[in-house]
Amino acid sequence: MPYDAPGFADTLSPALLQRWNEVIRENHQRLLPEYDSGFFSLEPEALRAPVRAHMKWFGDPAEPAVCIGRVAARRLSDWGWRGRHQLHNEYVEYAHTWRQDASGKWRIKRVTVTTELREYWTLIAEHSPNGLRSLVRDTIGLTPGWKQLYNHEYPFELSPQERKIAFSRQCAGHGDDPALIEAGVPAQPDGDLNRDHALFMTHPINGLDDLIQIVLIGARPYMRETKDGVRPATKEQVFRMRVGQERLACRHADPAAAMSAHGAACEGRTVALANPIGVYLLTMNSDLFHVGEELLPKHWIHFSRGKPGMFQRLEFGPPDDEQEFLDDISIAVGSSEEWLTGGFQLLQHIEIGPLVLVGEGRALSETEHIMATTSEAPVRCHEAAICDQIRELNALYEREHA
Amino acid sequence: MPWFAAAERLQEGIFHSERVCPRRHLGVLFLRASHGASAWQVRATLDALWRMWSGLKRGESPELPGMRIPSENLTVTLGYGPRAFCLEGMLRPTPGELAPSFLFRSPIPAGGGLVLPGSGLRYAADVRVNLATEDFAVQFLADSPLAVERAIVESWALLRGLVDESTGVAPLQITSHFTGHTREDERSWLDFHDGISNLQPGEERLRATVIKPTNRAEDAWTVGGTYFAFFRFAVDVESWRALGRKTQELIVGRDKLSGAAITSLDANGNPVTAIGCPIHGAREVLPSTATAVDEPPDVSEEILRQSHAQRANHHRRDIENRDSLRIYRQSFEALEAIDTPPGFRAAVNFTCYQDTPERLVRLLTQPGWMGRTNFGGDPDSPHPGMASLMTTRAAGVYLVPPNAEGESFPGAVAFPKD
Repeated sequence: MPYDAPGFADTLSPALLQRWNEVIRENHQRLLPEYDSGFFSLEPEALRAPVRAHMKWFGDPAEPAVCIGRVAARRLSDWGWRGRHQLHNEYVEYAHTWRQDASGKWRIKRVTVTTELREYWTLIAEHSPNGLRSLVRDTIGLTPGWKQLYNHEYPFELSPQERKIAFSRQCAGHGDDPALIEAGVPAQPDGDLNRDHALFMTHPINGLDDLIQIVLIGARPYMRETKDGVRPATKEQVFRMRVGQERLACRHADPAAAMSAHGAACEGRTVALANPIGVYLLTMNSDLFHVGEELLPKHWIHFSRGKPGMFQRLEFGPPDDEQEFLDDISIAVGSSEEWLTGGFQLLQHIEIGPLVLVGEGRALSETEHIMATTSEAPVRCHEAAICDQIRELNALYEREHA
Repeated sequence: MPWFAAAERLQEGIFHSERVCPRRHLGVLFLRASHGASAWQVRATLDALWRMWSGLKRGESPELPGMRIPSENLTVTLGYGPRAFCLEGMLRPTPGELAPSFLFRSPIPAGGGLVLPGSGLRYAADVRVNLATEDFAVQFLADSPLAVERAIVESWALLRGLVDESTGVAPLQITSHFTGHTREDERSWLDFHDGISNLQPGEERLRATVIKPTNRAEDAWTVGGTYFAFFRFAVDVESWRALGRKTQELIVGRDKLSGAAITSLDANGNPVTAIGCPIHGAREVLPSTATAVDEPPDVSEEILRQSHAQRANHHRRDIENRDSLRIYRQSFEALEAIDTPPGFRAAVNFTCYQDTPERLVRLLTQPGWMGRTNFGGDPDSPHPGMASLMTTRAAGVYLVPPNAEGESFPGAVAFPKD
């Protein structure tokens, strides 16, 4: 069974659908030399007695909170495209819509959250410029010019590969794709369209390949010797099995995905990304948000780009024709009431994740165990190298806001 | 060597180790600093209390010098509420994890109200004051009710001796206490086994409970401690018993008699439990001997995903990550005398420990977890009485600071010495 469009959000032509499945398999194939696992499958229909697994995490960026604390993390994550480009690496990104209030002051009107995969949009851009333009129009209600999409007057003149490069440069960034890097595409897009409207994710770490990779990293029966016998390895051991991956243990997404797959593998279960592959906005407690004494009007919380349970887009906040702004919304957290100042607080209350199935378990033989000999010592996340970069960003923020 | 060296500094009474079973009897005592009491006065009072409690643990009673009393393995755990750090002269600021966003709401003045917005837990309609939000909480655990109650009475006696004649009060005052016990059959007032899906003893519990280092330098002294949360719930046994066994099992997510996890539904919608569970021919899955294999597996049916067992634990294995929302918890049943028929109220003391109360707040408020539900089941269409099966009578969150060498009591470092 081929994979459908993420979230069943679009009806693709047979040719595009086939190409989307090829993209998925190519991403998987590229990872196999290093990460092949008999406990991972891209054929969910082949699983015996499949059940839904809990593979999900909260969307607020974890690394800055660990490195510089929650208050500064919120401030930096909410710092427009700079925060987004550097810090939104939990498979969810957001942008703020600013409007002037009656006094002329610029204030945030709405937060737009997206979990859409860059690879999917790039595929459409590569093969169907008209389809891309419709997609943007349907998503944000505005029809973009070709220049906004490709920085080119007439993309039909370009080859598919040229369109892919042009779109990536303008809207998507290189996503760590070697061919795009070779072509000089920057990590983050030059154009404003995606920056302003959060059409889809552009952080290189939020890619389809990374999603598959992090599940593959965990989908192995790493075990350890204990005084009670052989037991599943710890998170620290799993993430130390490959050099350079320890830092991944400090995010929300990667440990959640990898350790969910690892738990399944240790029970002899195969993990499969269910149809449709994608990253979804799974749960949100709208009861926490109020304007005045009332719950938010329903039309202030608009999920889209997918069927229920598979939404990939959220526009949160009042529409332009209403007088309120985002900071008129309060969040009830514990015994406190906070004003909503940006997307970071919102994502603290939204769980993100792919749809994952696990198959029937079986007893593993000893020869299938992979004995982990790596250290169990805690990962010292607050001392991770990424903290230096985050502190630099924080210093830059403080200089600009001095 | 524990997973995390600082875990060796955890106060007693958490019972994280596989070698020690939790005591069966609980008492929780709440203390408030008197108006105008300085940090120095409170320190001296806590110091005296700690010495007295240590004596009780050794079998020494203040009123019976030279005599030995049964200590009944008493443990004492001292917790600090956020207001404790507001005492004049305190050397440490309120820890970041005791920020208002990680605390419980107060009841509304007319009584009742949500404990946490977004959760399904409410104060009982007659509760107008939360008796569990004080400056200090002291957890006593012991093998007999007397040992726990004696610790409470001796605390009162000691404080009585410290009353300042000019003000008429001691630097610390007892505001309330709660007691309870575990049941021999390891079940709760709901008649189901309680705590099967708890964290495994040893490393698992430590990973969830022990406060880890952060870059918040002012909280470095708390590393190796834990956060203690306490709930006193009234249990609506009458409404519970009005439900049929099948309904109860679907709300809990386990077989009522055996405790086996429900894994699916048959063609008639009846619960089906895991094959081979309970294991080894046992008749029941007991919380005290439950292992990882007794954890409820992932399920697909929505009605089962809404059960208490599935909501409370999503089987995250990265337990040390705060967003795994794993907590280590205990329950102690109680019976209260009341003036209205039937003359008693079934209650339960719920205690839990975690490296940050954020775990608990998110667990209780996020949809799919315990958010919007009182105990389990569909929050949009609860069975009769199930939206208020548990009503809160008191709730609080406290820092349990680590033991530190040279300190006369845990957390003394937060106080001035002179």
